[in-house]
Amino acid sequence: MDNTITIVSGLPRSGTSMMMQILEYGGMKVVTDNIRKANEDNPHGYYEYEKVKEIKEDTGWLKEARGKAFKMVSQLLYDLPSNENYKVIFMKRKMNEILASQSKMLERMGGSKDDTSDEKMGEFFNKHLLKITDWIEGRKYIDVLYIDYNDLLTNPDEHIKTLNRFLNYKLNEGKAVEVIDKSLYRNR
Amino acid sequence: MSVSKIKIDKELLKKAREHAAKAGYTSVEEFVSHIIEKEISKAEESESEEEVKKRLKGLGYIS
Repeated sequence: MDNTITIVSGLPRSGTSMMMQILEYGGMKVVTDNIRKANEDNPHGYYEYEKVKEIKEDTGWLKEARGKAFKMVSQLLYDLPSNENYKVIFMKRKMNEILASQSKMLERMGGSKDDTSDEKMGEFFNKHLLKITDWIEGRKYIDVLYIDYNDLLTNPDEHIKTLNRFLNYKLNEGKAVEVIDKSLYRNR
Repeated sequence: MSVSKIKIDKELLKKAREHAAKAGYTSVEEFVSHIIEKEISKAEESESEEEVKKRLKGLGYIS
């Protein structure tokens, strides 16, 4: 039995929900509670699990995630306990697209955007990405695959093959790639 | 590089000179500059991390 926990991670709006959808359509079990409902920002759902946010205080639920996949924003990876094995699919995307999409999402949420300019926020996020990448490299219990969202849309077949190899061929590649085709259609 | 002078307590300067020599700095100026740069970098790092956390919280990704 495979006890490895698969985590889809990255910055918000870097394609993590689409990757969760790829895994689900490809036949992987995903851990989600559907508390945050699908909306204009994520029409196919957020694929979130609220307990992920409390990982610093409670890691008991991780046992149930063995052999499955869940989504976790990159900042929370630091709190993963070292007594499990993880495969992290880390999504990357052009920073200007991430920031533009976050701004739209914040507007739709009705909250006020923080005072930080996109330029400054981009710098902060880039520093964060460098630091977390470095941190991951030093963790023997984490195996990581970086996927560029923009490139995934351009070369879906190639990336799905690489992803499937990383996941020890758990995915139905044909089904998984359909998600990207649909997403491309939506973004036309 | 243009330079400026700063005032520092004599006793502290003496300690700084001794420490700079022990730690292998070529001068007390180099030692003091290094410490200031280190502190600024630490403060910037902390600001950067706080801003990232604030944004993630605003988007509902961390609590």
